[in-house]
Amino acid sequence: MKNTIDPYLKPVRESYRTRVSRLGKAGIFVAFIVVCVALSLITPRFLTVPNLMIIVTQVSINALLAFGVTFVIITGGIDLSLGSMVAVTGVVAALFARSETYPVVVPILAGLLSGLLFGAFNGFVITRSKVPPFIVTLGTMTIGRGLALILSKGRPISNLSDSFNFIGGGQLLGVPMPIIILVVLFAVCSVILRKTVLGRYMYAVGGNEQAAKASGIQINNVKMAVYTMSGLLAALAGIVLTSRITTGQPNAGAGFELDAIAAAIIGGTSTSGGTGTMAGTLIGALLIGVISNGLDLLNVSSYYQQVVMGVIIIGAVVLDSVNQK
Amino acid sequence: MPFDRDYVLTIRGLTKTFSGVKALDNVELTVRQGEVHALMGENGAGKSTLMKILIGLLTADSGEILLDGHELKNGDVNEAMKRGIAMIHQEIMAVPELTVAQNIFLGRETTGSLFGWLNDNHLNQQAKQLLDQMGISIRPDTRMKYLSVAEMQMVEIAKAISNDARVIIMDEPTSALSDKEVATLFGIIRDLKQKGVAIIYISHKMDEIFTIADTITVLRDGQYIGTRPAADLDIDRLIAMMVGRELGSLFPESSIRKGNEVLSVRRISRTGAFSDVSFSVHEGEVLGIAGLMGAGRTEVARAIFGLDRISSGEIRIKGQPVVIRSPQDAIQYGIGYVSEDRKGWGFVPRLSVKQNITLASLPNHTKGGLLQEKSETDVATKMIADLRIKTASPDQHVLYLSGGNQQKVVIGKVLLASPDVIILDEPTRGIDIGAKAEIYKLINQLKASGIAIIMISSELPEILGLSDRILVLTKGKQAAMLSKEEATQETIMAYAMQY
Amino acid sequence: MKSTFLTVLTTVLVLTGCNQSDSTQASQGDGGKKLVVGATMLSMQNEFIVNVNDEMAKQAEDAGVELITVDAERSALKQVEQVESFIAQKVDAIIMNPCEVEASSPAVAKALAAKIPIINVNSETSTKPSAFVGSDDVESARIAMKFIADKLGGKGNIVMMHGYMGQAAQIKREQGAREILKQYPGLKLIAHQTAEWDRAKAMDLMENWIQSYGSGVNAVFAHNDEMGMGAVKALTDAGLKNKVIVVSIDAIPDALQAVQKGTLDATVFQNAEQQGSKAIEAAVKLAKGQAVEKETLIPFQLVTKDNVAQFMKKPE
Repeated sequence: MKNTIDPYLKPVRESYRTRVSRLGKAGIFVAFIVVCVALSLITPRFLTVPNLMIIVTQVSINALLAFGVTFVIITGGIDLSLGSMVAVTGVVAALFARSETYPVVVPILAGLLSGLLFGAFNGFVITRSKVPPFIVTLGTMTIGRGLALILSKGRPISNLSDSFNFIGGGQLLGVPMPIIILVVLFAVCSVILRKTVLGRYMYAVGGNEQAAKASGIQINNVKMAVYTMSGLLAALAGIVLTSRITTGQPNAGAGFELDAIAAAIIGGTSTSGGTGTMAGTLIGALLIGVISNGLDLLNVSSYYQQVVMGVIIIGAVVLDSVNQK
Repeated sequence: MPFDRDYVLTIRGLTKTFSGVKALDNVELTVRQGEVHALMGENGAGKSTLMKILIGLLTADSGEILLDGHELKNGDVNEAMKRGIAMIHQEIMAVPELTVAQNIFLGRETTGSLFGWLNDNHLNQQAKQLLDQMGISIRPDTRMKYLSVAEMQMVEIAKAISNDARVIIMDEPTSALSDKEVATLFGIIRDLKQKGVAIIYISHKMDEIFTIADTITVLRDGQYIGTRPAADLDIDRLIAMMVGRELGSLFPESSIRKGNEVLSVRRISRTGAFSDVSFSVHEGEVLGIAGLMGAGRTEVARAIFGLDRISSGEIRIKGQPVVIRSPQDAIQYGIGYVSEDRKGWGFVPRLSVKQNITLASLPNHTKGGLLQEKSETDVATKMIADLRIKTASPDQHVLYLSGGNQQKVVIGKVLLASPDVIILDEPTRGIDIGAKAEIYKLINQLKASGIAIIMISSELPEILGLSDRILVLTKGKQAAMLSKEEATQETIMAYAMQY
Repeated sequence: MKSTFLTVLTTVLVLTGCNQSDSTQASQGDGGKKLVVGATMLSMQNEFIVNVNDEMAKQAEDAGVELITVDAERSALKQVEQVESFIAQKVDAIIMNPCEVEASSPAVAKALAAKIPIINVNSETSTKPSAFVGSDDVESARIAMKFIADKLGGKGNIVMMHGYMGQAAQIKREQGAREILKQYPGLKLIAHQTAEWDRAKAMDLMENWIQSYGSGVNAVFAHNDEMGMGAVKALTDAGLKNKVIVVSIDAIPDALQAVQKGTLDATVFQNAEQQGSKAIEAAVKLAKGQAVEKETLIPFQLVTKDNVAQFMKKPE
């Protein structure tokens, strides 16, 4: 009778569940604060304005990708092509940013457009076929990597214009541009998620696709929208990255999707869909950034860094599964 | 209470507290050998907590459980199983890839050979003997996944019997069974009684209780209310014990005059599901659709709502022929649908009550592209009050509501899209009697407000009590259209069992 | 870049079975047929490897040899399979740019067993091939670190950026660097960390080091130019570039430009062209049954502002 436990444990009492769930949501914020306090006690170099600026700048690319994938995961999907989209869009932008021949909006728009098309392609295949998003984006991940290599002919594209390099390397009123972009996009994505019909529909589709359908929601449109937005945000990340390292790299962004998905999950987005917040994802990305920065400051071997990161991801998922029950 | 040889199970003074709330308060239960003992109570009355303690999944705070006069160790699943307590679940928990025989003997495979090799032939023989004894014709080497829900249940019971179960708990065993399968189940239950096995039977279906139960124990709000022979009770008195008050008549007379035709379908068919179904429904009218499981009732509803396509025929809204390709289309045409499968097609568990209620009419609550929280809250609060949804707040997740209240949330959502016709598919399935009464009241209110209602139900009293006309389907075909006056349980069943 | 497409085109033609095109001045094997050389390269995403391969394609064309290039995509397993398929196609010689020291070794053994000459280019395998053409990675790091030592007068704090940990190039470059560090007790390695050959990661790492050590760092040694460029960018942004020496290896075009501008202090030139052409030369000779050197080591050259001009390619 061992296998009988599940259905009978389901009706746990409300108060207990809400408490655990609240704890889970607060958990990530608490963890973040604890890590920050710990680091500032261990090393005086951590809690300085320049270091914090650097952390946020470094986090910005992963955070942009994580925002996109948060939309996708909330609808119950996944996007593994993020890293490849970073490469493709970065290379496209770099191709148009090579000299001062075009004004800086041209490479930006070209990059964004390529991301939009790429994301829309993901959405199109996912909604028109019965193939799960995991498989579709696994395929487009490879396609994207190939496209980036074709477009760049396998070589980095450098000598980009100064105005383009300003996007990732410049400062506005002493604040690095990537931070400004991050803050703006955080606000925009939060509003989309919390304050628009589309955002609500994302939760509905991920929470119960059938009920969403029976409520008259056009499931396919919602999915198209999230994958396209994921593509756009990946393009923005690609542009910032390319501009920051002042080269379009066809092999850039490899593995970025995993960091982005990790940020979303650490931030409380449930892999089974239907829950998640942009604030959580931002904290998730910041936590990853802070830990990686802190371990660098402490000169911890990168071997251990990987172990630490893995432990954190598993911890977050365990917390998530506690929430699910 | 003196020890009585007849009592196989005696529970006394059982109390269980969850975070300060008493789920069970000094509850008792005594079950005789060879009797069917119905355990009744509304959702939250403590039935499942009591059963979980009995099978050892939970530990009671105080009280004692005696099985055959000997104390049963508290909170020990294995002990309970060894001592002969078995439970047949609402959701069957079999291993789908294993065979019937393998499932029956799962965890205690006898080898039938010296060397301990598993011998499927041996298992199959044993299983066949067992199934034959029960009069069930299922091949023991069939994989579990190919069985119907009813057959799986039979296998679960066989498993319990093979375990020498003295007490078998059945929790809503008929919720997914057809009438014929219910009859078979009841046959098996009677056999078990003969053999002296005691059955604790939990069900919301009153007619079943009075058909099968010998004794009835009622719990309410964690309290023991009383135990009576079934023969001493009738439905009204039982309900009074369960809810603690008289509900009045479940089906109040309504004298609404029907208005114009809202929806009509002509000879609609869907290959493999139903064919040549025609009916119409008017403002302020309830059209009941009756029929056995698999008669095509839900399929008709899904097709009208655009979840499936019809292969031929015509749907008219207010006299105009329309083509419905999707639920969006249906909602546009003023059709609302409350699915039989509340969890599957009804609500989004992790959205709040408010967010679920506004889900189908969300664009009405935007200004400049942004959602207006206040407008949503206002509308939801009103709906919560109108439908008397019991929730801590509009921001409570629907997941945490009771079945009846979840159902009301779904109805509220459908109503907010201001439909002219609502299709209610098994609107009271799995919800307790008090909530049922409220749903009935609500249906009559909707009717009074001039909405056309199509109600699909397997519960004949419900169909008879609420419908103005009754469409009977059988095997995907239209068997009869009965007026309120013509319809009785007998006529409906006669048509439903036709062919 | 046209040559890459030519390579691809040739590959396609060969694979679709267009073996009948006997050109007039082509090198002839014993059977009188045009010689076919199969090449499996570590990764065609790596600029240096692409350069080696471009030169191989050019030389092959000049020599009238058909060159089939395949990309092992950094997988030794794939590489072994590719060599197996070359053996099955009965090519006249195989050039392998090994993915891994140990794991790519079976490919060498299989080719030798099939009596097909196999030439390792750029890096080694534990099983000795018919011939090796390449450079000694340890030497490149010695050259780079020696330059730093000279510049700092044998005294100062150094940070090192590793390539992908555990790869042959990373191991050897670290080994070379440490050899020199031992000779100069005044040089202190204050931190070392991997940036996985990646420019963006190197930039992040350098930024974090700047936070840690401020201007306490005197020199950066990066295992490749990509990472060196990332370090340069971070240092420039922090306004520290003129105080910190950055040296890396490979001499990719970006790095050469940076050396010319003076932002990157030095890089080490590994001669892709010579590796490519010598590899083809060895392959053709071995296919015809002629003797070749067992090991052809192409020397590294230090590139600084003084001699950078001679390494700059004419714009394509």
